[in-house]
Amino acid sequence: MSAATEFDPKIVAFMCNWCTYAGADNAGVARLESPHNILAVRVMCSGRVSPEMVMRAFRSGADGVLVMGCHIGDCHYAAGNHRTAKRMPLLRNLLGYVGINPERMELAWVSAGEAPRFVEVTKAFAQKIRNLGPLAQEVTE
Amino acid sequence: MIQEIRKAVAERLDSRDGIVALRRRNGGVAPYLFQKGDDLSELEISPKYPLMTLVSRLHKAFPAIRLGVVARGCDERAYIEMVKRNQIDPARLDLIGFACSAEDARACYCREPSPKHLVVGTPPASGPDNPLVAKYNSLPLPERRSFWKKQFSKCIKCYGCRNICPECFCEACAMEDMAWVEPGLLAPPFPTFHMIRAMHMASRCIACRECEHTCPAHIPLTVLYDLMRRDIGDLLGYIPGADLEAQPPLSLSLEQAPLRK
Repeated sequence: MSAATEFDPKIVAFMCNWCTYAGADNAGVARLESPHNILAVRVMCSGRVSPEMVMRAFRSGADGVLVMGCHIGDCHYAAGNHRTAKRMPLLRNLLGYVGINPERMELAWVSAGEAPRFVEVTKAFAQKIRNLGPLAQEVTE
Repeated sequence: MIQEIRKAVAERLDSRDGIVALRRRNGGVAPYLFQKGDDLSELEISPKYPLMTLVSRLHKAFPAIRLGVVARGCDERAYIEMVKRNQIDPARLDLIGFACSAEDARACYCREPSPKHLVVGTPPASGPDNPLVAKYNSLPLPERRSFWKKQFSKCIKCYGCRNICPECFCEACAMEDMAWVEPGLLAPPFPTFHMIRAMHMASRCIACRECEHTCPAHIPLTVLYDLMRRDIGDLLGYIPGADLEAQPPLSLSLEQAPLRK
């Protein structure tokens, strides 16, 4: 496939205000290159990300959804991300149960000081989604 | 069986404001609050109907009312989850538990066809697993997708699954929120509508099968909910409806309810 026709996925990334968003910001400040496919949605806590928000992202044309927050133990609200840690694996399984590749959704912990990790996670995820192809193809076929 | 239940109700009627059960009248069966002086020969136990929703409404509307309820195994499980979520006041309710028939247990794929607090009857053998749930893991993604697309396309969005569910009592329902579910689309676009419910059922579904029994489009909803039930058990060791003391794990911290894998 030529570069011009290569599938360019849309990825919605929910980032928590205190860790990941700052990490992404720092990646920018450090002029690290992160994939252009990432559409950032800043939330106060990854625990705010309801399953409905993830589903809506998919329904609105996202080919992949990343949910990112503070590492366990570092949550600004003490245990907000604990809820994320329990909820997201269930949602991932459920996506699989209705026949949507669960690999299209990922949960990752990225702290404010981990700009290189932010780049690493987003790059790897973008590549994974690029390999999987468009979601619309899966859902409407 | 039915005579023994009527007798158990008659014995308890004097000490309570009323006992919730089913009543047959004019050729139909409907939930009813039996009170002193009512004709107990009209009391029925089938068809199966989730009576705990009615108990919850009565408890909320009449803060001092003391009730009894004729309960199957699934009613008791619903009761347990509803008490934890402050929908029923256990101090104002007594369960008159009875065992389902072996046929009921088979038809409902019921693992616990009899309440722990058993008053009438003897527990039958557990029903089998839903065969579709049992073989689900070996089903490839495209097959799962085409199955559910076909099933969900039958949905007329009547909300019957939610309305009948004893565990669906939120005042604001995500399935009515226009941010998540567009109004006016029939069938609801695959798969959000049903995924919202399945996700919300994860720590709540007590496998009473009422949603599936009530669905006018015959969507096998409990296949999804059984899978979610299995997951919450595997992931967090929680079995909805099993234990009054076990707290719903999704709102607890990882120290209080650690992930198992």
